[in-house]
Amino acid sequence: MIEFRHVSFAYPGQSEDRLQDLNLTISDGECVLFCGRSGCGKTTVTRLVNGLIPHFFAGELTGDVIVDERYIAKLPMYQIAEKVGSVFQNPRTQFFNVDTDSEIAFGIENEGVPPDELRLKVDGAVKDLKLQKLQGRRIFSLSGGEKQKIAFASVYAMNPDIYLLDEPSSNLDVDAIEDLRKNLIRIKRQGKTILVAEHRLYYLKDLVDRIVYMEQGKVRGIYTPEQFLSIPAVQREKMGLRAMDLHSVKPLPKPAVQALPVLDIRAMALYYKKQPVISGINLRAARGEIIGVTGHNGTGKSTFLRALCGLHKGCTGACLWDGKGMDSKQRLKSSYMVMQDVNYQLFAESVEKECCFGIKNPDADIVTGTMKELGLYEYRNRHPNTLSGGQKQRTAVAVSMICRKEILIFDEPTSGLDFDGMLQVSRLLSRIARGGKIIFVVTHDYEFISAVCSRVVHFDSGTVQEDFAVNQKNLGKLQDFFILGQRRDDIEGAETGQKNYTEIGRKYAYEAKREESNWSSAQMGGKG
Amino acid sequence: MSNSPAANRKGLTVKDLVTIGIFSALLFITILVGGLFFAPNPVLTFYMPLGSALLGGPVFLLLIAKVPKRGPVMTAGILIGIIFFATGMHWAMDIGYIVMGIIADFAAGSRKYKSVRMNILAYMLFSIGCTGTYIMYFIDPASWASTMLRGGTEQAYIDTMNASAQNWVLAVILIGTLTVAAFSGWVGNKMLKKQFEKAGITA
Amino acid sequence: MRKLHFDPRTKLLLMIFTILSATLSPSLYYASGLVLLIMLFGFACGKPRYSLLGALTYTVFFALTILTRDFLYGTLQTMLIAFLGLVHKVYPCGLMAGIMIGSTKVSEFMTGMHRLHVPRKIVIPLAVMLRYLPVIREDWGFIKDAMQMRDVSPSLGGLLAHPGKTAECVYVPLMMSASKAADELSIASVTRGIENPEPRTCLIQIRFGAADALAACAFLLYFIAGMAVRGGWI
Repeated sequence: MIEFRHVSFAYPGQSEDRLQDLNLTISDGECVLFCGRSGCGKTTVTRLVNGLIPHFFAGELTGDVIVDERYIAKLPMYQIAEKVGSVFQNPRTQFFNVDTDSEIAFGIENEGVPPDELRLKVDGAVKDLKLQKLQGRRIFSLSGGEKQKIAFASVYAMNPDIYLLDEPSSNLDVDAIEDLRKNLIRIKRQGKTILVAEHRLYYLKDLVDRIVYMEQGKVRGIYTPEQFLSIPAVQREKMGLRAMDLHSVKPLPKPAVQALPVLDIRAMALYYKKQPVISGINLRAARGEIIGVTGHNGTGKSTFLRALCGLHKGCTGACLWDGKGMDSKQRLKSSYMVMQDVNYQLFAESVEKECCFGIKNPDADIVTGTMKELGLYEYRNRHPNTLSGGQKQRTAVAVSMICRKEILIFDEPTSGLDFDGMLQVSRLLSRIARGGKIIFVVTHDYEFISAVCSRVVHFDSGTVQEDFAVNQKNLGKLQDFFILGQRRDDIEGAETGQKNYTEIGRKYAYEAKREESNWSSAQMGGKG
Repeated sequence: MSNSPAANRKGLTVKDLVTIGIFSALLFITILVGGLFFAPNPVLTFYMPLGSALLGGPVFLLLIAKVPKRGPVMTAGILIGIIFFATGMHWAMDIGYIVMGIIADFAAGSRKYKSVRMNILAYMLFSIGCTGTYIMYFIDPASWASTMLRGGTEQAYIDTMNASAQNWVLAVILIGTLTVAAFSGWVGNKMLKKQFEKAGITA
Repeated sequence: MRKLHFDPRTKLLLMIFTILSATLSPSLYYASGLVLLIMLFGFACGKPRYSLLGALTYTVFFALTILTRDFLYGTLQTMLIAFLGLVHKVYPCGLMAGIMIGSTKVSEFMTGMHRLHVPRKIVIPLAVMLRYLPVIREDWGFIKDAMQMRDVSPSLGGLLAHPGKTAECVYVPLMMSASKAADELSIASVTRGIENPEPRTCLIQIRFGAADALAACAFLLYFIAGMAVRGGWI
């Protein structure tokens, strides 16, 4: 049993939205969802239970958090860890080892479980969670979803009574979310207590017993799933929440794009180390279009977009702009990708400097105008790293606008965003599109696609499998892919999924492997 | 027992240790990348420490800024020594990094890891670790070459070797490394002030 | 040839013997014998291709040394002799290290460090360091892409043309990413009980076997033989 008794907490320097007087009791075996806008305090709640507050994050804490009659604030972290298992949102930074087996064993190794039992427990976790294919692999060769599964398995092997998940689906694709859901069903059947803080709600529909809605650090409502599902869509959106039943979300009507296509891709094929990745891409796009790019992991969509930006070199076929051919250099000049982790592309010490970065004679009016247009003007002197995720994204967009890029590519721009955040991104995209740009957006977010994309290009089996408009007529197709995930569990599909992961991932995994074997031969040149 | 709030804990916390590990990895890469250009070249191989010192300043200063207590620099030196040992680098370089890491930690610690000058000096000392191999060479250049000589030692060779191992080369290596490291530290400090402190990633 | 499995601690010991033998090597032929021995060890570890290639490359250096010694004169000779002297001291260690790294899993290595009672203040950062090296490579890939899109060339030429700008493009994202990783990774490890003061156990089990004893003896004897030659006893 978990009890919160008059718990209040504020991080150092936090004045707004501090957690205030939380009183809540969660009984054993219950599955509770904490939801609300970004910054509403739901992550703070999870940190109170797994002891990160007060042991890792300092701040003003009053009240008591009691788990099975023990005060969290008085237990050392490693004792809490045996009771409460935590899974976090970023699969890249959650693992401590380089191979999957050791990572699954990490928690129980810390507990000091005897070696023979370690092996049994690891094998048990692998068998229960069906991870045989991932055993004995280098973690760096895994996709994000697979990494998340290993992180989950590591906690599962510790067999805690309470599972705590902090936005676990943020960086996952549809398939991986489905696997996560299955794992949650399994632990729920085992009678575990589950606490989830999440923006994406749909996959928890049949799992949760109670839904706690928070706003500005306070609990505003506690619902049963039935009550929650009966909240009208308009009110739910006002609450800043995503849909729990995706079937009820219908594509919004989009303004028809009248312009003629300017971008014309003909018979494009892409290679990685002379191995074909994807071939036979024929695609035409007009200014103002927002094209959703979808597909399972490892279908070549990221390679395609990198090639479109001129970043991927092994490329055949033609790419025409207004009837004139564009080589990779010209494409690099006229296109811009907003990366999933936008931190990689922010270099300067303030938003304003970022907007002028690398431009010889920046036009101050354009810079100011763009910042104002994107709501960044008041932050112009802040360091980009101190901004929220959405603001960072807009800074990157501002850069692309100032550099007069014609083609914009967004890689998973809504991962980890709440409803408001997603809505902001869709408004932003619509506005840029109206400005005559062509936008490609890689996404697994059905609500987002429905809200903003005019068209979906679906990659599968190494080519563009489908290309269709987002409207009522194609609703079935869309929902099939995004909601059911249309998992192809047949051996072939599973194998390609395993081999290919994302192209970038493969590239680096390959190079890392090569690097490994060359590591020492590089030394052999003889040096001190 | 570790139930005191995170901020008040003395000694190295897990977060400190993880930070040290990550920044040591970065430091190792800067040494490798910087030295790569020099190492395989017979003419330049002796000047490798200069290249190795060039890139690490910003990483080093940020590490101290993130973990301003006894230990990070020392640990980084030990880790880099271990990894160079495991990659088969000359032993004098491995030991060099460990010893200079410890000395550098005390240097930076003498001003409680807060003084910019002391921290840059610590980086300069740290970079000297790389010169261990060459110092060994200059201590006795003849024995260095004796392995290659037919039937033990021939006086003529020893004389040539001793004559050619001009001491100014060693001076260039040492002073050059210190200068390059000072420059790298200066750049690092500028970056720290301009970027990392504003970004809120220092302790 | 059947692949033998060696304890990581044995490999570290062999590494030390290799360093000692290479440093105190009495003659060029002794050094080549050491490379031969290491090659055999590489075969036993199941790395025949790498070991053979390594030994062949060494043969080239060997020939080069003979040529330099017998046919060159003056400054060029002394310069090359100094360089080659370094090669002969480091090459066997590099070859050995390659075999060691290629045949040892990181987790095995960590178990070895643990069994050698290396303090946690070293083991934890060391594990993190080894785990973070591939991340730097991944990060560099993203940063390179990002730089190209901003018309900054991620190359040596770019660095020379615009040193300040290029340096910022590399360091800033790299440090931000490192900083974030440090936070998140420490959270992920404390919530899985890394602070437990009780002795940690290891999934990967390591133990000494006959092969370890044999290899250690071979390297030890070779080292002693070298000392004997050096001391003039043989």
